[in-house]
Amino acid sequence: MNPLLDLTRRHFFRDCGIGVGKMALAGLLAESLGRPATAATLPVGLLAPKPPHSAGRAKAVIQLFMAGAPSQLELFDHKPKLAAIEGIPIPPEVIGGQRYAFIRPDAAVLGPQYRFAQHGQSGAELSEMLPHLAGVVDDIAIVKSCRTDQFNHAPAQIFMNCGFAQPGRPSIGSWVTYGLGSESRDLPAFVVMSTGSGISGGSACWSSGFLPSVYTGTRFRNAGAPILNVDSPDGADGRLAADTLDVVSAINRRRLAIDGDPEIATRIASYEMAHRLQTSAPELMNLADESPETLALYGCTPEEASFARACLIARRLVERGVRFVTIYHEGWDGHSDVAGNVKKNCESTDRASAALVADLKRRGMLDSTLVVWGGEFGRTPMVEASAVLGRSKGRDHHPNAFTMWLAGGGIRGGVTYGETDELGFHIARDEVHVHDLQATILHCLGLDHERLTYRYQGRDFRLTDVHGHVVRGILA
Amino acid sequence: MSRLRMLLAATALLPVGWACLAEGPDFAREVRPILSNRCFKCHGPDEDHQEAGLRLDVSEAAHAELDSGTRAIVPGHPDDSELIARITSTDPDLVMPPPHTKVKLTEDEKRILAAWVAAGAEYRPHWAFVKPERPGMPEAENDGWARNGIDRFVRARLHEEGLTPSPEADRATLCRRVHLDLVGLPPTPAELAAFLADEAPDAYERLVDRLLASPRYGERWARRWLDLARYADTNGYEKDRQRSIWPYRDWVIGALNHDMPFDEFTIRQIAGDLLSSATVDDIIATGVHRNTMINEEGGIDPLEFRYLAMVDRVGTTGAAWLGLTTACAQCHTHKFDPLTHTDYFALMALLDNADEPEWTIPSEDRDRRVNDIRRRIEEAWAKLPSTWAGTPERFAEWNAEESRLAVDWTVTKPTSVTSSLPHLVVRDDGSVLAGGDVAKSTVYEVVLPPATTETRAIRLEVLPDESLPAHGPGMVWYEGDKGDFFLSELEVTASDRRIAVAKGTESYAGNPSSSRGASSAANTIDGDMSSGWGIDGQQGRPSAAVFVLAEPVPAGTPLTLTLRSERHYACPIGCFRASVSSRGDAEARGHTAAEEAALVKPADSRSAAERDLVQRRFLASASELAEPVKEIRKLEDSLRDGTTTLVLRERPADSRRVTHRRHRGEFTQPKEEVRPAAPAFLPPLPADAPSDRLALAKWLVSPENPLTARVTVNRHWQAFFGRGIVKTLEDFGYQSDPPSHPDLLDWLAVTFMHDFDWSQKKLHRLIVTSTTYRQASTVATDLAARDPGNVLLARGPRVRLEAEVIRDSMLAAAGLLSTKMGGPGVRPPQPEGVTEVAYGSPKWNVSKGEDRHRRSIYTFQKRTAPFAMATTFDGPTGEACLVRRDVSNSPLQALTLLNDPMFVEVARALGAAAMQAGSDDATRLEDLGRRLLSRGFDADETAALAAYLAAQRQRLAAGELDAVKLTGEAGPDAAERAAWMLVARAAMNLDEAIVKR
Repeated sequence: MNPLLDLTRRHFFRDCGIGVGKMALAGLLAESLGRPATAATLPVGLLAPKPPHSAGRAKAVIQLFMAGAPSQLELFDHKPKLAAIEGIPIPPEVIGGQRYAFIRPDAAVLGPQYRFAQHGQSGAELSEMLPHLAGVVDDIAIVKSCRTDQFNHAPAQIFMNCGFAQPGRPSIGSWVTYGLGSESRDLPAFVVMSTGSGISGGSACWSSGFLPSVYTGTRFRNAGAPILNVDSPDGADGRLAADTLDVVSAINRRRLAIDGDPEIATRIASYEMAHRLQTSAPELMNLADESPETLALYGCTPEEASFARACLIARRLVERGVRFVTIYHEGWDGHSDVAGNVKKNCESTDRASAALVADLKRRGMLDSTLVVWGGEFGRTPMVEASAVLGRSKGRDHHPNAFTMWLAGGGIRGGVTYGETDELGFHIARDEVHVHDLQATILHCLGLDHERLTYRYQGRDFRLTDVHGHVVRGILA
Repeated sequence: MSRLRMLLAATALLPVGWACLAEGPDFAREVRPILSNRCFKCHGPDEDHQEAGLRLDVSEAAHAELDSGTRAIVPGHPDDSELIARITSTDPDLVMPPPHTKVKLTEDEKRILAAWVAAGAEYRPHWAFVKPERPGMPEAENDGWARNGIDRFVRARLHEEGLTPSPEADRATLCRRVHLDLVGLPPTPAELAAFLADEAPDAYERLVDRLLASPRYGERWARRWLDLARYADTNGYEKDRQRSIWPYRDWVIGALNHDMPFDEFTIRQIAGDLLSSATVDDIIATGVHRNTMINEEGGIDPLEFRYLAMVDRVGTTGAAWLGLTTACAQCHTHKFDPLTHTDYFALMALLDNADEPEWTIPSEDRDRRVNDIRRRIEEAWAKLPSTWAGTPERFAEWNAEESRLAVDWTVTKPTSVTSSLPHLVVRDDGSVLAGGDVAKSTVYEVVLPPATTETRAIRLEVLPDESLPAHGPGMVWYEGDKGDFFLSELEVTASDRRIAVAKGTESYAGNPSSSRGASSAANTIDGDMSSGWGIDGQQGRPSAAVFVLAEPVPAGTPLTLTLRSERHYACPIGCFRASVSSRGDAEARGHTAAEEAALVKPADSRSAAERDLVQRRFLASASELAEPVKEIRKLEDSLRDGTTTLVLRERPADSRRVTHRRHRGEFTQPKEEVRPAAPAFLPPLPADAPSDRLALAKWLVSPENPLTARVTVNRHWQAFFGRGIVKTLEDFGYQSDPPSHPDLLDWLAVTFMHDFDWSQKKLHRLIVTSTTYRQASTVATDLAARDPGNVLLARGPRVRLEAEVIRDSMLAAAGLLSTKMGGPGVRPPQPEGVTEVAYGSPKWNVSKGEDRHRRSIYTFQKRTAPFAMATTFDGPTGEACLVRRDVSNSPLQALTLLNDPMFVEVARALGAAAMQAGSDDATRLEDLGRRLLSRGFDADETAALAAYLAAQRQRLAAGELDAVKLTGEAGPDAAERAAWMLVARAAMNLDEAIVKR
């Protein structure tokens, strides 16, 4: 018989136990070793929950990022004047020095492609392409006066997320988890989903930048297990995972007792959370416990990756204490046939976006969950048409004015905020710059954008740089 | 008693009165950080933000009378100093900093400022901006602990703090530590055994020398440099297309392996092309500043993104060499450091005057290949007649027709050329070559000399040139097809009158990318800017368009051609030549200029060479030879093949780039020109040389420069100890963390420059042979409380390994690691779906054979979707200069090591390797430990692993675990292999397997 087998695990744990004092030193181990009945269900270390600067209504954010930039002129910002002057160029004095990606500034005006009507008690105007949103219009605040500094996709998406157009700064989800920590011990604090063809801004959009990298967004895949490597290798099972965790933790604990480095305690805790993730991730993704009515509300087919499924999963994430969820829906870049573009994208997003608001509300979660819908910029009142590119009746990128909506989490429903001029070209009233949006999102979470800072390269950085004002007019 | 007096009385420093204060707080260590953190933002070097006219960063200004008539600081008299009155005021309208800034002084900080004013408010220059001098060496304690200068400084500080150093680490631990540090890999069991058996007193030093000489050394240390250089294999931003710049990566590896002194290493990267004897390698080295990102998104302004790349170059130069944070000064004068807004653009101007070509690297190998291809082309031509020689009748018929149509063109040499952007040069043969920057909209105006006869037709040849992207003839290099152009409109003017063009024909018309339908020369005279002519598919060869005028232009009239190019990407013509003729029936027949000139002549007066040319043209146009001619064209295309890399090329003297200050740092707000210069607070550039990149490069590594050597040795120190002597590796300015061992830092800097002549290997040898480095890393309980960050170095380093070292170490432990060096990036296995999130959802096609297991420095680095394992372990994206990597500890790391397909593959190989070590479990476990941890498992660990092994064997035997699935292959010993794979996998997940201790 193999003499080694005389030594049992029991022996190992009994005789090679760890000095209690050293364990206390590590601090972090209270959770991972003691497993007290009062179960620490909250994360520890850098992700431990932190109090906000002031009481905020929102505990979590779901960002519905309409990548590619939806046309506000076909959805929210009704400009009959454009129909009246269709085919005529906008006067140069209106255009000013604005640069465009594809069109020449003297391109002719294109009229709205859809009909608009007023909805809800608030009487907010929405296009016929948003029938479902119309049903929750009194729960959302529509901001028609958004403005950005960037007119190309990648820089503008990075700017919307990070407050800076070049990669390398922390994203808003990272700032928020840095500021507030996480309420979930079993799932990542900041989750990113994408249901389309790839994101122009790439991983810079959920990067932690110079913040500690634990604040990086964790991307959920559409196929297979959502989190990379959460599945054990083929041929393994749950007990193997538990056995492996046991032996690894036991030897690590002993190493902690000998080497005394508290990082080992963190490592042990990380393995425990990894183990929990292996259970919590499948549970999260299992939509069998959602009622057929709920699935129908979102328009979600459980086994099919879609924007609707992502919205439903986002709600489940927030229910489980996840702090920040971003869902990217790409495909709004309507350089040609903007009418068709809007129709197609509304078909895949309108029902689920509205359902998310309605579902959160009926579950009593809307007040503590901020939902933000919008793209990286808007689209031009002028037409984009080019024989050589085979484009017609499209709209180019327009940074000067676009529309977003927010709901829940401290936002006043039924508000329409800001106005553009009669051509939808410039903001006429109550401009909301990207930095203002960011300041407002942080404010809803109880974070002061001027105090949420991180010292790097000798200076205190902020999401909003030296800008940003909370948009009081949309607060509850 | 006033608040102030109470404040001061509270400090033990101040018994009575102010005047008797001989020595106040240390300005650099205690006072400046307060001023810098709390006051400079509004009262610092930025002229636009000197509120109330007060500037506190220099003594003259701080002591001067203010707008209000008071003085902020009256040295020796805190009572009379407005500064002290304000910081101690309780009136919200008076107190400084003002409440709205949300900045508050602590009581301690107020005390320090008051005591400093009381002591005379003396300003001293910031330590890092003063050239380092060799400090006095502390006495060694006589216990023989100190081996070199490092130890004397470290020990002196420990002594001051009442701490004792740790004993030396055991030899196996030390062997592993120094391997991981110097070559980024653990010792093999054999190397470990050899070292443990070597009882000579200098065994360790000889080990160090062996490691320094290993080619693995360059691979390990190049990775750290590439973090700074923001190296990646793609362009970044939306499209994030692949680029070829790996020759630069290989250059870095080679330079470090050859221990190229850091001053030379610097000069070649910043300005290798400007060296008088620049070699191919020196030019490749300039790739460091071509690692900036390129936005290929349709519709961007390329000059805006070039400017952003310049901002990145300035920032990287500041962070990597100077330890200066320049980003603030891009938009306004630095609020903390003495770097002005103009200084910033002067620094940019030093780097600005370069073009940014994709360079085909010349080599003997390439010359041989080109000669070979040329020979094959000649052979192919010679062979054509054997396929089909034509008949005299066919030739005569063809020749008659083409000769009749051939035009006797007069090649012109423009008398003037102007361009909205690319720089144009008229060459002797009349051709015009463009170079430099491009924009989305381009206008060329070309004035032709008066013709001797009337002009009815114009030929526009577009010609290849090696300096152009894909050898031209166009300048398209992003978004469109490389080397193509797009001529939107061509206009002809004579005597200030627009001459209508009746007809346009072309020798070849391409389909520009993202277009529907073909282009044509006719499109360039239709008045529609969105249609035009391009030649995609004919890159590297000449094409031509012929335009017939609606009316003749009389002889003696200068003609002006206006060429407009405009698309959503930059698309000007790169090289062209205009010819004129009086023939109104001219059309493009697909001949080159030389062919047409020969065809014009009667057959019997053609030279032998012309006859040959015409004969070939005839054969090439024969449908019978279409296939073989296509093969010849392919061979011709392959002449342009070769390894390319991105480099800098100084611009010609007559097209110097003018650098402007940009208001608020914004591209759209250029202001006055700024001449190249070094920042005013640092030593000037040499006066006797041009102020260019070479001057900057030499200035960076001049012994007069107070920063570069300190910043460099500090960064290396951090690599070994996990923390720099200055913690903020990227910032040595006023806001930086003060050095933990200032004299040691200066001693290392001076030693590195003057004794080691900037040799990195000598510096590394000094560090790893010190007693300080060789200490055990065990964290004693009292020390953990006293110095948790190991700032004082009373123990050796204990740090989690970097992403690449983890992967490489595991591959090495399993015997899988390939030692193949260099070449294009490879794609090792990673989980499905990592790259799907990037634009266009590109596939990750896993490399085959040994390329699956290359060192991680060779992993293809995609900026918008980096290699997942590297990201999880804090690897860089390559999007910006990264001076200091984070060291995180996350559940995703655990999942990676447990379940990532590549690590599963490693576990299989590692388990199998351990099985080879012997037939009994004890030997196998011992071997596993040595491979992974550089030591055998101790009894307790062995017991735990053996129990785990036994449990898994049982479950495999019971069929609860699937051996074939686990090991990926069937076989009689599948269960045993699976059991060992699982033990190996468990061991790979031990904390110790991924730390240096």
